[in-house]
Amino acid sequence: MSRITLTVNGRAHAVDVGDDDLLLDVLRQQVGITSAREGCGVGACGACTVLVDGHSVSSCLARAIRYEGRSIQTADGLPADDDVVDAFVECGAMQCGYCIPGFVLMTHELLDDNPGAELDAAQVNAHLEGNLCRCGSYPQISRAVETVAIRRAAACQHRS
Amino acid sequence: MSLDEGLQLPPVVDEVAAVGARWGRTNGRAKVRGEIIYAADRAVGVCAHVAVHRSTRPHARLLSVDVTQAAQAPGVLAVVTGADLHAALGDRIFTGPAFADQPPLAVDVVRYVGEPVVAVLAIDLATARSAVDLVDVQYEDLDPVYDIEAALAGTNFIHAELKPSAVFGDLRHLHGVSGTNVLYDFHLLTGDAEPELPPTALTVENSFWSPPVHHVPIELPYTVASVEGDRLEILTTTQTPSYVRQMASDLLDIPLNRVRVRTDRLGGGFGSKMYDRLEPLAAALAWTQRTTVRIAVTREEAFELTARHGVAISGSISVDEDGNFLASAADVVYDTGAYADIGPRMTGKSGFVSLGPYRTENAKVRARCVYTNKPSAGAFRGFGVPQVTLSHESLVDDLARARGEDPADFRRRNLWREGDLGYMGTKIHSADFIRCLDGVTEAVDWYAPLERPNGRWRRGRGVAVGVKAVLTPTISNAVLQLNQDGSASLMISTVDMGQGSDTMMPQIVAEVLYLDEGQVRVVSPDTDVTPYDTITAGSRSTYHTGNAVRAAAEKMREELLDIAASRNGVRRQDLKLTAGGVMNTSTQAMTSIADLVHEHFGARGTTLSTTSNFTTTWEPYDPVTGHSSKVTEHWFAGAAAAQILVDRLTGRIHVEHLAVAGDVGRAINPALVEQQLEGAAIMGMSIAMYEELVFDHGQMLNATLLDYPLPSLLDMPDRLTPVIVENPHRTGPFGAKGVGETGLIPIAPAIANAIRDAVGVRITQLPLSPERVLGAMDEAGVS
Repeated sequence: MSRITLTVNGRAHAVDVGDDDLLLDVLRQQVGITSAREGCGVGACGACTVLVDGHSVSSCLARAIRYEGRSIQTADGLPADDDVVDAFVECGAMQCGYCIPGFVLMTHELLDDNPGAELDAAQVNAHLEGNLCRCGSYPQISRAVETVAIRRAAACQHRS
Repeated sequence: MSLDEGLQLPPVVDEVAAVGARWGRTNGRAKVRGEIIYAADRAVGVCAHVAVHRSTRPHARLLSVDVTQAAQAPGVLAVVTGADLHAALGDRIFTGPAFADQPPLAVDVVRYVGEPVVAVLAIDLATARSAVDLVDVQYEDLDPVYDIEAALAGTNFIHAELKPSAVFGDLRHLHGVSGTNVLYDFHLLTGDAEPELPPTALTVENSFWSPPVHHVPIELPYTVASVEGDRLEILTTTQTPSYVRQMASDLLDIPLNRVRVRTDRLGGGFGSKMYDRLEPLAAALAWTQRTTVRIAVTREEAFELTARHGVAISGSISVDEDGNFLASAADVVYDTGAYADIGPRMTGKSGFVSLGPYRTENAKVRARCVYTNKPSAGAFRGFGVPQVTLSHESLVDDLARARGEDPADFRRRNLWREGDLGYMGTKIHSADFIRCLDGVTEAVDWYAPLERPNGRWRRGRGVAVGVKAVLTPTISNAVLQLNQDGSASLMISTVDMGQGSDTMMPQIVAEVLYLDEGQVRVVSPDTDVTPYDTITAGSRSTYHTGNAVRAAAEKMREELLDIAASRNGVRRQDLKLTAGGVMNTSTQAMTSIADLVHEHFGARGTTLSTTSNFTTTWEPYDPVTGHSSKVTEHWFAGAAAAQILVDRLTGRIHVEHLAVAGDVGRAINPALVEQQLEGAAIMGMSIAMYEELVFDHGQMLNATLLDYPLPSLLDMPDRLTPVIVENPHRTGPFGAKGVGETGLIPIAPAIANAIRDAVGVRITQLPLSPERVLGAMDEAGVS
């Protein structure tokens, strides 16, 4: 058992982890994060997605001990005026809601990787294809990602 | 302000109605941000974590179960076998909604690979999971029954004797049988069994197979059970809290008031979280071990808990030279796996619509439910109807083509219409198949010429309709609490699992009481608080719970007016409830609900409560003809149209446009209705094209999300068009009916018919995989 510090949503948390402990379990059981969730346990559904230094990680496959000192972002820690969250809410991009935080974080990664770019549907679909929504909210999810991408591109043009 | 204090003009209020409005989903932002709590997110405290040792054999007698090593492992608190539970609780451990046939842990015999045999309770989940491997079970193999053919051959019997559990009113007619794997046998006959057909009659017949598939809600099943004094408390992921309460009461032989069942909103259900899943084991372990037990399962274990029934169906339809239906017949067999679960109900309920929504003179159905040595199959969105729809919609399509008639036109002139008497003896009302069909054909521009490329990609279009009866009889209740501040709390046992009941039920209350978005909140199901509700399934909640909710709200309106009248000595008929509160129509004076309730009780924070019940009745099936003058409270009507491309080289299907229509009576919230239609269509498309649980000698081979295919954004049709048809039901709340399943039912045959249109082959087995499409094309010599 090792004591390490995880930085989650900008706050430092001291946690005790064994070598095999999963990041997902440590976040849920020791940090109190419930927006990352187990869906498959094999990195195939995206419900456990978190961002580590801005990059998406399936926390159900990640060993917690490797994330000492890294900056971990979860959906519940996004700012109150988060534009991706706003777009998902406006577009009604949720049914049961279980998988949606994963989609939100993947959208952040996509937009941050392509600042100001006009994204086409193929790029969006390719980036989000690892996230599964069994309720089938895909039409609203597509609309939400498109909405926020257009807004970011417009804001970027406005600035330049 | 009291009612008679001077003349006032009524305040200007927003008169936009709540019913029919596109209210945002309750808790929508919290869902997107991941702040909403699901059952497994709740802190449990010190508890025993449970892992299960599972059968490695499809069918075997238990010779010995050695738990010595497991019990001695560090951190293990207890090891419990089926024999232990049987000794403690007797035959009450056998539970089920139709037959009392399933033990929480195997007793004497195992009946499928993966069946729970031993439960290990430990200080943490990892310890429990590693200790299950220390259990040593010796088996004596029995002859396994892997499929429907072997089950019907009937030389090996999976259960010695069948005992109905009679929890539900509609299953009272089941009776105990033995010496068979057929646990339910439904017959329907209208007209002649073997009608004499004119020489000009045209007959098509074929056999179809829909394999077992899985629901895969992304939230895993989860149950916590604890004992407090003489009470059992369960927190569980269930669509049926009232059923679970009754089951636990029966299992432990304690009154209903000593069982509390709670559920949070679910991370998807689709029929998988119903009746007996983890709850009997959790209840039995908590009660016998006098401790709190927590059962969290892996995705692989979730795959073994339930499935959609594999269904084999042979159907035939004969028409006269003018294309009028003369005779329809179907022989349907449902593979329910090792335990009955709700299979018997499904066999009747989907059996009696297995000929489709068509007028016919002679109708004959035999529908049987059989045991096999597979995980138990249960309810799944559509409840057996999608599987039988594949048959009648493929046959009708082939008939139209054989006649040289447009498949949509051919359907249109034979479909049931308002007032028709269905072949099962019940009248058709508020089921607008024609407008559903019109809606989807219009959406895909059906009557415009289709560009048909002749190279690698071949284009085709297909259409299908679907019919389902709502489960009848059932019961819903509502308790409405109006708070002094004008907000309301609604107590119902309907579970929001993504369908949106926590949004839509408040709209019904708000419509009656002139409340605004956000003023009515639903209390999550808790059997100590929320009243009995049959199930959250079968698309029944909008109509049934909705009617109970509407009645409770109407009683509340009357109570408010009574209070206002008595307080102020005003004639009751001079008062009416408006958006601003209670108005005296002769003086125009207005009192807000908050002021009225405050004045009435003389305190803030007080509450007014009303209750209501909505119960439906049916006429049981005639034992000979299977007829019923009221087999259902209402019908669901739907249709789908698909335009696809088939890749001649790979057999892959690309869906260009999928249109799906459902007659919802009245859309309480059109945005949620569209999402239900779309979500069901996407699930239906996935089942049509990708999904199948693969078994080898009873062993499930693809029980992980690496192996079991589910659609992602990459697999979406280029266009997906939901079409809402509103044909009000005379007794629906504001005319409304449910829609959860309607969109799924016609999808597979619509796509199969589009393949038939594109490349000329009729595929009769799901999924419509590239291998199967390519094989069919090669066999037919399609170049």
